[in-house]
Amino acid sequence: MKQMSDVLFLDKRFGFFLYLVVEAIMFATLFATYIIFTPAERGAHPSEVFEWKTVALTSIFLLSSSGTLLMAEKGLKNWSRKWIWVGLVTTFLLGAIFMGLEIHEFYKYAHEGYTLSMNNFLGAFYVLVGLHASHVAFGLGWMINLMIQFTKDMPRALFIEKHKIFNYYWHFVDVVWVLIVTIVYLPYLF
Amino acid sequence: MKKTGWILTLFLLSGCSLRVLDPASPYADKITRLIYLSFGIMMLVFVVVMILFVHFLKKFHETSDRVDEIPVDESGNRKLEITWTVLPVLLLVILAVPTVTTTYQLTSGASQGEGGQDKERVIIHVKAEQFRWEFTYEGGEVSYDKLVLPLDKEVELRLTSEDVIHSFWAPNLAGKIDVFPDKETRLVFTANKLGDFQGKCAEFCGSHHALMRFETTVMEASAYETWLQDQ
Amino acid sequence: MRLPIIGYVLSDVIVSWIITLIIGGFLLWWLTAKRKWPLILDYIGTTDNRKIGTMYILFAILFFIRGGMDAMFIRTQLAVPDNDFWVFQADKYNEVFTTHGTVMIFFVAMPLLIGLMNIAVPLQLGANDLAFPYLNAISFWLFVSGAFIFNMAFFFNAAPNAGWTAYAPLSNDTFTSGPNNNYYIFGLQISGLGTIFTAINMIVTIARLRAPGMKLSRMPLFPWATLVTSSLILVAFPVLTVALLLLMFDRFYGTSFFGGEFGSPVYWQHLFWIFGHPEVYILVLPAFGIFSDIISTFSRKRIYGYTSMVISITLIGLLGFMVWAHHMFTVGLGALANSVFAITTMLIAVPTGIKVFNWLFTMRKGVVRMTTPMLFALGFIPTFVIGGVTGVMLAVAAADYQYHDSYFVVAHFHYTMIGGTILGAFAGIYYWYPKMTGKMLNEKLGKWHFWLFIIGFHLTFLPQHFAGLNGMPRRVFTYTWEDGVFLFNFVSTIGAYLMGISMLFVLWNLFKTHRSGTSSVDGDPWDGRTLEWTTDSPAPEHPFPNVPVVDRLDAYWYAKVNQTNLPQTKDVRPDPISIRTFQPILLAGVLMVMSIGFIYHWMWLQILGGGSVLAFFLIRSWTDERNEAYRKGEKS
Ligand code: HEA
Ligand code: HEA
Ligand code: CUA
Ligand SMILES: [Cu+2]
Repeated sequence: MKQMSDVLFLDKRFGFFLYLVVEAIMFATLFATYIIFTPAERGAHPSEVFEWKTVALTSIFLLSSSGTLLMAEKGLKNWSRKWIWVGLVTTFLLGAIFMGLEIHEFYKYAHEGYTLSMNNFLGAFYVLVGLHASHVAFGLGWMINLMIQFTKDMPRALFIEKHKIFNYYWHFVDVVWVLIVTIVYLPYLF
Repeated sequence: MKKTGWILTLFLLSGCSLRVLDPASPYADKITRLIYLSFGIMMLVFVVVMILFVHFLKKFHETSDRVDEIPVDESGNRKLEITWTVLPVLLLVILAVPTVTTTYQLTSGASQGEGGQDKERVIIHVKAEQFRWEFTYEGGEVSYDKLVLPLDKEVELRLTSEDVIHSFWAPNLAGKIDVFPDKETRLVFTANKLGDFQGKCAEFCGSHHALMRFETTVMEASAYETWLQDQ
Repeated sequence: MRLPIIGYVLSDVIVSWIITLIIGGFLLWWLTAKRKWPLILDYIGTTDNRKIGTMYILFAILFFIRGGMDAMFIRTQLAVPDNDFWVFQADKYNEVFTTHGTVMIFFVAMPLLIGLMNIAVPLQLGANDLAFPYLNAISFWLFVSGAFIFNMAFFFNAAPNAGWTAYAPLSNDTFTSGPNNNYYIFGLQISGLGTIFTAINMIVTIARLRAPGMKLSRMPLFPWATLVTSSLILVAFPVLTVALLLLMFDRFYGTSFFGGEFGSPVYWQHLFWIFGHPEVYILVLPAFGIFSDIISTFSRKRIYGYTSMVISITLIGLLGFMVWAHHMFTVGLGALANSVFAITTMLIAVPTGIKVFNWLFTMRKGVVRMTTPMLFALGFIPTFVIGGVTGVMLAVAAADYQYHDSYFVVAHFHYTMIGGTILGAFAGIYYWYPKMTGKMLNEKLGKWHFWLFIIGFHLTFLPQHFAGLNGMPRRVFTYTWEDGVFLFNFVSTIGAYLMGISMLFVLWNLFKTHRSGTSSVDGDPWDGRTLEWTTDSPAPEHPFPNVPVVDRLDAYWYAKVNQTNLPQTKDVRPDPISIRTFQPILLAGVLMVMSIGFIYHWMWLQILGGGSVLAFFLIRSWTDERNEAYRKGEKS
């Protein structure tokens, strides 16, 4: 008979993947919305709003955070507390910087008068990218929680399970970002 | 079976007086034929199902001598299953062909009307707003909640809305066309019967949607001209 | 009526408050007097699939009475031309049909089916619970939360009023300001989340918790239907979520996706129907599954054409995503789009027809027992076929220019939804009642219920076809003598009252069954075929201490025929962990608080509610029941 934690983890992983399917469809619908309404007939054109520096910077930080998370995953595999710590902390820092840049970006746009009610391009942009940003923010909170749990006494199988589920989440959020860059930003940058 | 008979008689009794089935334009007439055709096919399907249903129930319901009977098992029958896959497909093909042709004929992408381009069209602008209809004729004449049409002339309605979505519906004359705030829709038909016909807003549009009605009067062309003068 | 402080309120709201307070007070007194509180607490804190399923059904019946009363108000107002019944004209009428439609679909039909899935699916699979018992409780309480939010609106004189389809721009704040349609958004959003979680739960359960030997090709048809339905939910509901989110931004934060200067009203219709059409198959496929099991059981024969039955539901599910624009034939999408969607829509008749004929041929050469569940299944066949073929008539795009938004459509969807979903749910409730409670419902009253309901049903909705053909649009609160639809409407109203009366037989039946403490039944009262009948009635929290081994479809039946026992095994995968917890109801509560904050634009309450929701995640993470379970599991 298989270990209980193995079997239940497989259940949970399958369930979480299905949940990610749900998220993917939500994002897909928002991408469709963005494509339909962009560029808008009136109000700001994306090319006047976006600038490639912000996009490049945010992408670098978020995408590399997926890489650093791999260190933690390796740590999980060999149960090396050091690697788990290193992986989690660097991922957190990179994610936090992304978050800061993102807030700055929104703040700047709004300051320049590009608010979400200006036209539907901006409306769709804020809803889509904002939903992604809130996913990153949620992920940051999740990582703090994981780190605290790591310091506490918890069955190892359970910690590994929780960590792995988080990893799937974070990689998913990263993939969405890649799509955002290619669909939302890139066509209007150059 | 009783139910079937009942539907049929009710239908026949009232059929001729039901507005949708009492067309006053070639447009509405085409739809009426289509409805009768589809109704016929559907009755066929329904009757077949009912015959099997009643027959099987009569023959195989539990009787006191069958209480302990365990029927022989059968898992299916390829041939029968193919039959009731193919026959419906055939029926649907019979239905789909006129559906597509009529849909193409009646959907006024604007230019194409029922009678080709050569005929002169009467163009009427229709403005819908909560909860009334405004009709503007070619000479700038305006009428409210009353649409007047010349007999046997092709008319083209160009519809827009001031606020929410409405829908123009005069069942004897034509099918519905929705009326939008952000785009113009069109409806082309030719009234070929004199008389007054009811019109209604068919898309739910707020508190007094139920009262957003209009009257359509079809007049001889000459009477139509005089009526316009009076406006 | 003008009240101090509150202001102008119509008398129906006041009457409802009074009645609700009286009934509520009586209920509290009764629960205390009969010492029922421990039982209530037991149910609130449970993660057991049978108990949760039972609660789903109880709440659904409650909301069925609510939605049914709305229907009665509709029918009374429409009984005669130029009627002025009580307050139900204009805006009030619009609120009534909006709540009627929304409540019936989201808070009656869905929970009835999900409740039955909860009860029957794990048992039919030989599983001891759903894969995620805790998540299941969350789903249930999210449904309750959403339903309460939606139903609350009426009591604060702010019921949603843009139709269950909430077409923009009418549903935008320009044309319907006030909190009314905010209730719609949040009620659906939160209960929809619960539905998504249920779908995930069902798929994982079906994929991973089947009894040894039960390949997918040996699985009964109700779990099959559940699997397909859950997949549809997984794809359709997120689209609704996003549509509602965008609508919320339009209403709250000044965007204009669906209205205003730049917006596109038709885009809302696309999003809504991309969800909405699969939704109607979500409503009907589980009912198909229930009927398959029942017809097979009460014909004492295995289901005819099992493989094609499975293929059919899958095909219906797939095609269901390709037909949404048949609700938009009059929008002016153009002849090509209309023709394409007309044809894809018609195609659905083929797999549905296969199912109908397979049901008929299951009865052929069988022994058809006229029990109450079977009566409902039999009533379903002609009724649903009428609803289905009128659906095909609607699919004739050009003809739909006439039918659309008329009572012909109203007739069509009541024939499919009541003839399919509601009859299916009734059949399922009578059928599995022993598994829920250990008692049988009275057969005689059940038959009264059936006959009154089905006669009332056809009286109500058959004439509506003709009212529609005679030019009666839907969603109107009045009509005139000249319209010539009086007789159709009058008959329809009589029929509706008959349906109402038939429901009183249900209440009486429930009362009688539980009053007269009739002796409990054994595990297999119907001489069933599937695994749920191998357990006790009611099904215990841990129904399969030893799990049966299955070697074919309907294995239990063949074991009975051959007078052997099903082989059993203890060597199975570990069970999901059930616990007692009050967290789910807590989450439902804080979500409700947050929603009210949004509905009335109270920022502080939004923050309070939102913060509590986030805190809830932490609590959940730190009280994970796996902590203890793994600790025990790993030491041994
Ligand atoms: C349970 C719910 C349910 C089900 C199962 C269906 C099933 C079908 N529906 Fe229905 N429908 C609704 C619920 C449902 N519908 C609702 C709620 C609305 C209105 C929403 C609103 O506007 O508020 C609606 C509206 C609606 C419209 C839009 C009408 C309009 O607004 O103008 C159309 C148009 O094509 C349509 C078509 C169909 C078709 C073709 C089927 C098919 O699946 C039916 C297939 C079944 C059969 C055909 C019978 C059995 C088959 C045979 C015996 C084989 C032989 C048959 C033939 C050869 C024909 N439906
Ligand atoms: C599953 C879904 C479902 C169900 C079951 C029903 C059930 C009924 N519906 Fe519903 N209906 C819809 C879904 C449903 N409906 C939808 C989606 C709409 C469209 C809304 C819109 O346009 O936005 C609609 C619209 C609709 C209309 C059109 C309104 C309009 O367009 O203006 C009408 C009119 O006759 C109607 C009638 C009825 C009737 C008489 C019943 C009856 O079957 C009801 C029977 C039930 C009861 C009568 C309650 C029973 C209980 C009691 C009476 C017990 C007594 C009480 C106590 C002891 C406390 N419905
Ligand atoms: Cu205008 Cu309804
Ligand atoms: Cu549909």
